[in-house]
Amino acid sequence: MPIPKLSPAPGESYDASQKPPSFGHPLKQYFALDDDYVNLNHGSYGSLPLPVLYAVNKWNYEIERNPDLFHRLTYRPLLVKAREAVAKLIGANTDEVVLVPNATHALNVVLRNFEWREGDIIIGASTTYGAVANTIRYLADRSEQPRPIMLEVEYNFPLTHAQIIDLFRSKIREAKQQYPNTQFTDVPPLSVGSELNDEQKKNKIVVVIDAITANPGALMPWQEMCKIAREEGVWTVIDAAHSIGQEPNINLDKARPDFWLSNCHKWCYAKRGCAVLYVPKRNQYMIKSSIPTPHAYVSPSSPAFKETGTNFVAQHEWTGTMDQTPFITVPDAIAFREWLGGESAIYDYCHQLALNGGKKLAEVMGTKVLDEDGALTVTMVCPHDSKGPASLSLIVLVTQPNVQLPLPVEKTRGEVYTTQQLNQINEFLRDKLLKDWKTYAAHYWHNGAWWVRCSAQVFNELSDFEYLGKALNAVCKEVEDTILKKNA
Amino acid sequence: MPIPKHTPGPGETYDPAQPPPPFGHALKQYFAFQDEYVNLNHGSYGSLPLPVVWAASQLAYEIESCPDIFHRLLYQEKLDKSRELLAKFVHAETDEIVLVGNATSALNTVLRNFEWREGDVIVLASTTYPSAANTSRYLADRSEQPRPTIHTIEYGFPLTHAQVLDRFRPEMRKVKQLHANTQFTDVPPSSPSFVADPAAKKNKIVAVIDAITANPGVLMPWQEMVRVAREEGVWTLVHAAHSIGQEPNINLDEAKPDFYLSNVHKWLMGKRGCAILYVPKRNQYIIKTSVPTSDEYISPDTKTYEEKGTGFVLQHEYLGTTDLTPFMVVPEVFAFRAWLGGEEAINSYCRKLAVDGAKRLAEVMGTRVLDESGELTLNMPNIQLPLPVEKTPGELYPPELRTKINLFLQSKLLLDWKTYAAHYYHNGAFWCRCSAQVFNEVSDFEYLGKAFNALCKEVEVTLLRG
Repeated sequence: MPIPKLSPAPGESYDASQKPPSFGHPLKQYFALDDDYVNLNHGSYGSLPLPVLYAVNKWNYEIERNPDLFHRLTYRPLLVKAREAVAKLIGANTDEVVLVPNATHALNVVLRNFEWREGDIIIGASTTYGAVANTIRYLADRSEQPRPIMLEVEYNFPLTHAQIIDLFRSKIREAKQQYPNTQFTDVPPLSVGSELNDEQKKNKIVVVIDAITANPGALMPWQEMCKIAREEGVWTVIDAAHSIGQEPNINLDKARPDFWLSNCHKWCYAKRGCAVLYVPKRNQYMIKSSIPTPHAYVSPSSPAFKETGTNFVAQHEWTGTMDQTPFITVPDAIAFREWLGGESAIYDYCHQLALNGGKKLAEVMGTKVLDEDGALTVTMVCPHDSKGPASLSLIVLVTQPNVQLPLPVEKTRGEVYTTQQLNQINEFLRDKLLKDWKTYAAHYWHNGAWWVRCSAQVFNELSDFEYLGKALNAVCKEVEDTILKKNA
Repeated sequence: MPIPKHTPGPGETYDPAQPPPPFGHALKQYFAFQDEYVNLNHGSYGSLPLPVVWAASQLAYEIESCPDIFHRLLYQEKLDKSRELLAKFVHAETDEIVLVGNATSALNTVLRNFEWREGDVIVLASTTYPSAANTSRYLADRSEQPRPTIHTIEYGFPLTHAQVLDRFRPEMRKVKQLHANTQFTDVPPSSPSFVADPAAKKNKIVAVIDAITANPGVLMPWQEMVRVAREEGVWTLVHAAHSIGQEPNINLDEAKPDFYLSNVHKWLMGKRGCAILYVPKRNQYIIKTSVPTSDEYISPDTKTYEEKGTGFVLQHEYLGTTDLTPFMVVPEVFAFRAWLGGEEAINSYCRKLAVDGAKRLAEVMGTRVLDESGELTLNMPNIQLPLPVEKTPGELYPPELRTKINLFLQSKLLLDWKTYAAHYYHNGAFWCRCSAQVFNEVSDFEYLGKAFNALCKEVEVTLLRG
C-alpha cells in the first residue's frame, strides 16, 4: 500500500528562507492549541510546533513501510544526528549524551545505577519534584540493608542565591557531622581523594540538585552548588528537567556536573517523550545498565568489557521496541527554533514577557511576584558570573514568573487550611480554569501561601496574563465563598 | 490554531458494517507496507493497521489542542478502558493489569522490584531473550553482596513439549541441590509451603519462563512449567512478549503465574510502545515501585500504605511525561481485529499458513522444518537455512563468523531482496523464523526461499570459503 499522501495543512510547514511571524499571538498558527485556550502552562507538558508534529506523523508512516529496515538499519544514524544536535545546545560531547523517554526516567537510570551501601546518603530538597523525591525515598525504603539514608535541604522561597548556597553547603556539612562514624571516602573523580583505590572507598554522598525547581519555578545557582559539592566530595545529579530551551548558555563542559538531565519535550519543542541524559566520560563506568537492561549490556566479567566498558551509548541506543519518533525529530524541533530566531531571541522575548507578565498578573490580582525584592533587576545571562554583591542577586525567574494568588496566607501550618482543603482547592482551581475559563497555569501551595507559576512562551502576550488574572480573581473568590466558608 | 483538517487516506478507514477483504494479500491495503516488500517478520517489531495509525495521529492533534486537559482530566478514563479490554482478553482482573512501554520494561519492573539477597537464584534458559537474560546478569553482576546467582537450563531444539518438561522439572531440584546450604523458604503465596511470617523467609528462586521463545520462535508448555515451579516453591515470571494476539485462550486466572507480561504492539497489532504487565493481587506487595518511580509511590511506613498497599495500579498511571497514544488506541486495535473476523478466525488463518508456508519454504530450500511434532508452532514457523550444519559448536561457525553471516543476511534481504524473516544460529545450524500474518500468503514464503537460496550460496562462496 503506498503511504497515504500526506500534505501539510496550515501551520504544518514553513519556508525557512522567509522571516517568521513576530513573537506573540501571530505564532499561535504554528501550534495546535485551541484558538480560545490561553495556555500559560507550557512548562508542565510542553507543546510541539505543528511542523514537528507533521514530521512525526510522516515518520510514523515511513516506519510502517518497512519496520525491519527502519529499526535495524535506518534508525541509528538518525539517533546520532539527534544526539549531536542536543549535545551542541548544552556544551557537551555527543558521546556523553543519550536520549531517554523523560527526565524521571533519566534520574532513575542514574540513582539506580549507584550501588548503594548502608551508610550512604542521598540529599534532595523540599522542592524536589515528586517523582524524584519518591525515587530517593524508594531506595531508602529497602526493607533491609544495604540502603541509603534520605536527607532534605529545606528551601522556603523567596530566597536569594546567596541564601540558597548557604543552606546547601550547611546541609552537606551537617550530614557529615550527623554521621561521624561513616567514612565518606567514595568521592567523584574530580574531587580530592578520588585517587583512592576501590577497597579504600567506603561510603558516598549523592546530592540531587534542581537546576530549575518546578514549584515554585525558580532558577537555582546550580553551577555554584556543583562546585561546592565537588569541593565537599559529593556526587552531583542535576535535575534540569525545565532547562534545555529555557535556560540560556548551558555549558556542561564548564560546569562539570557528575550527571545532568533535561526534558527536550518541554521548552525545546520536541515530541513527548524525549529527554537527554548527560554522563561525562569520566563517570560512564558508573552507569552499568540502561533502564531497562538491553541487548547491548556488557557484563564486567566478559572479555568484551575490556574494550567496551559499560557501553553507555550503545546500551541506550535500543531499550526494547518503542516509538522512536520523539528522538529522531529532535533536529526538526531545533530547526524550527532556529527559524524563529534562535535560542537567544526566544529567550529574550520570553524572559521579558515573564517579567512584564508577572508584574501585570500581580497588579490584576492585587498580590505580588515571588521574587519581588529588588524589583526584578536581575540579569539572566550568566547568573553564576554575576558580579553584583551576593545579597542583591535574587532568584531569577527565567521564563516562569510565580505570582501569589488572592487567597488567605497562613503564618503557621493549619491556621487557615486543613490538608483536605488544600487538595480541594487544587482540584477546584484546575477544573474551573480548564473547563470554565479555558486557561491554565500551574497552581501550588508553598510556604503559607497560594501561588501560580506561569510559563511565558513564544505564542504568549501580555494580554494572556491579564486574562489569567481575571480568571483567578473570579475563581479564588469562589474558593473563599465555598471551600473556605465551610470551615468557618 | 484549529486542528489541521486531514482526511483519511486509502486504507485508513473501514466500514464495520461491510465484510472485510479475505485474509491474504487483499488485506495489505490496510497496512502501510511498501507494495514490493514481502514482510515475513511481523514478530520482531509488529505492525499496526492504517486505521490505527490514523486514530493515533488524530488523537495526537487532539492532545495538542490542550495538553493540560488531556493529561490532567481525560486520559485516566481512557487508560482504564484499555486496561479493561486487555484484562478481559487474558482472563485477569482489570486491577491486575497495568500498561508499560514494552515487554523488556515490564520484565525489568518485576526483576528490579525483588529485594535480592546473597544466595538467591534466578533461573533462565539458554533461549531466554537477550535483554531478559542481561537484566538478570546485571543484577547478578553487582560488584558486592547482596546479589543473586544465575542458573541456566539448556534447550536445544527441536524438542517436544514432553522433552522440555523433562528438562525443566528436575532443574528446580538441581538448583536446590547445587545450593544445599541455602534455605529457599521465600516461596510465592500460591505455593503449598508458603508461610506469611517475613522472618521465616530466607532465600528465593525466581524462574523466567518464556511462553513463546524468540529464537527459535516456539511455543513452550508454560502453564505446566508454572505449575511445576509453584509446587517447588519457585517464583514464576512468564515472559510472553509474543503471546497476545498469537496464542489463543490465554487464561491467567487458571494458569496463575506469579507475573506475566506481553507486548500489545506485536501480534495484537497495537501501536509501538505498549505492553501489559500482569501482577495478581496476592503478589502486588512485591512491586513496591513502578520503573521509573512515580509521583504515586507509597512509602511502607505510612498510613497510606496501610490503606492502599503498594498502590500497584495507581503507581503505573503516569510514569513521567511520554506519548500516551499507544495506550489510548487499544480499543481501535480490538475493533479492527473484530472486524477482520475476531481472534479465532485470525489465528486459524495464520496457523494454517504457518504450516503450509513452512512446508513450501522447506521444499524450496531443500531443508526441513524445526517443529517435528507440531506442538511448537503457532504463527511463527522455523525453517532451516541451506547452510552447512556443525556437530560441535565452533567447528564451522566461530561466534564472530555467526555475527558476520547474520549481518550479511540482514542487509541483503532488506536492501537487495526487499523481504525479511528473522534468522539465527541454533544448535549447530542456521534457521529462519517466519511470521505468518493476516496479510501473508504461501507465495511470500516461496519468494523468501528464493532469496535465501541465493544469499546462502553467496555466504558459502564468500564468508565460508575464507
